[in-house]
Amino acid sequence: MKLRTHLNKIWAFSTRSTLVNRRNVFAIFEMVFWPLIGVFSVGLLTRFLSLSGETVSFILIGAVTMNTVQIAQLDLSYALLYSVWSKSLKHEFIAPVRLFHILVGSGLVGLVRGLLVFVIMGGLSVYFFDMDLGRPGPAGLIFFLLGIFLNAAIIGALVLSLVLRFGQRAEVAAWAFSYLMLLLCGLYYPVSVLPQGVQFLAQLIPLTYFLDYFRHFYGFPLTSSHPLLYGFSQTVVYLFVSYGLVALSLRSAYQRGILLRLSD
Amino acid sequence: MQLAISAQGIGKGFRTGLWGPVKPVLRQVDLTVAPGAIFGVLGPNGAGKTTLISILATLLLPDTGRAKVLGLDVVREAARLKERINLAASGAHFLWCMTVSDSLRFYGRLYGLGGRALTNKVEKLLDLFGLAEHRAVTFERLSTGLKQRLALAKALINDPELLFLDEPTSGLDQEMAQHIREEILRLNRETGVTMLLTTHNLREAEMLCTEVAFLKGGQLISEGRIPDLQRRLGLGDHLSLIFKDSPAPLDYGRLPGVLRYTVQDSRVDLVLDRVDERLPAILEAVYLMGKKLTKVVVKPVDLEEIYHEITHSPE
Repeated sequence: MKLRTHLNKIWAFSTRSTLVNRRNVFAIFEMVFWPLIGVFSVGLLTRFLSLSGETVSFILIGAVTMNTVQIAQLDLSYALLYSVWSKSLKHEFIAPVRLFHILVGSGLVGLVRGLLVFVIMGGLSVYFFDMDLGRPGPAGLIFFLLGIFLNAAIIGALVLSLVLRFGQRAEVAAWAFSYLMLLLCGLYYPVSVLPQGVQFLAQLIPLTYFLDYFRHFYGFPLTSSHPLLYGFSQTVVYLFVSYGLVALSLRSAYQRGILLRLSD
Repeated sequence: MQLAISAQGIGKGFRTGLWGPVKPVLRQVDLTVAPGAIFGVLGPNGAGKTTLISILATLLLPDTGRAKVLGLDVVREAARLKERINLAASGAHFLWCMTVSDSLRFYGRLYGLGGRALTNKVEKLLDLFGLAEHRAVTFERLSTGLKQRLALAKALINDPELLFLDEPTSGLDQEMAQHIREEILRLNRETGVTMLLTTHNLREAEMLCTEVAFLKGGQLISEGRIPDLQRRLGLGDHLSLIFKDSPAPLDYGRLPGVLRYTVQDSRVDLVLDRVDERLPAILEAVYLMGKKLTKVVVKPVDLEEIYHEITHSPE
């Protein structure tokens, strides 16, 4: 198949996600309101507790990361939920569309929206709470962002897999998944404060390493020797696993008639 | 000649609940459809029509059997087949916030269209289905008729060689349903696209279909052209002769093509095999008896009778 044909198919999902976001006032709300609440509630709390500049940065990094991951994974998670809600799933799957068209097309919009949230929240953190977002330098920032966007893609793909198995009921998973992951990866606290058994789980989450990496620029000691190596290695494995799970779920949906059931 | 559809031994069952038994929905269905035909799949609710059409449209994997559509295996060559088929279903559903134009452009892109080719195709379909003035209206604001027209327009976005129509006029008012039927006939005539349609509306099937198949309890119990089915089932056309006074003293049972008859007062009701061929001979016989007719009523056998005969016969 020609590259242009693939690009058109990918573009189809990108434009659809963009249209939904543009015409849905709640999507704009999602991108601006919650990040604002996130920065100010956490930022003001740190001010009330009279925390040091480094500790404020530690916590604000958590707040910025959480909202960025949440928004970035949504477009991917919703890629099939839009079709389920509008009962048009069979029209999408009767077309010669492959999984990667859906994942890349919707994921790109998630990437752009995630970046916007990161910029908005980062800007507010710098302006109102004196956070030095530039301290890790361009390379540090790029590695960190790449890490959190790939993690958002893993969450999105896992939600897609659940949607194909359980339909609309999986909608809750779109939020629950990321909150659970964010709870375990030490968002507002070092992983060391988690109970022993839970710390082990935290080590299985790539985001733990990316937060560890980013925070060490603010004077916090690294808890692993090679955070980027561990983080990206796990990410690659999870990306393959999540893609495989979506492919398996799709195969099962074809077998069990779920595509039809979700279109009725 | 390559068949548009050729299916052998198609079977499908669905598990009831998580661990429950598998309930068969289709059992050993064989089907052949010639290219260019409008083929109707008829049957009561739960007969397996949608399951069959979904398997042929690559949306569902069969448990048993093999099917080829346009010469391609619906399981192993589904990706290539998807390029050449499309579907319009009843109760059209598209994303609520996308306009008519957005929806067509979205589905066009899913078939790899882009740039000028996509724009031209979308404009052509908007004109063809009278949707141009509604191009900027979002799906949720369209009337049922316009939604159905959009569904048909979408189904032609990739110039399919085979079109699946699942209850295409369901839920439409009479006028719109008739308009859609005429559109379907025109498309078939002008483009030669093969169509497989499911419908509950027997008049619709009669108007549109060159051939029909009846499904009952997941099994295909009869298939063929409507006149052939009529003969196979022993059903005939109806002819009523109403005489001015008493009926002509004929042995009606021995007249050519008469399957059965009843005489009541001045009226004789005959059931005939192919009334159009038999009528001249019957009228001549009556004329020779010197009896005057006040009225002759011809009613060809209709699909409803065939449907009734088939669906009410024991499985």
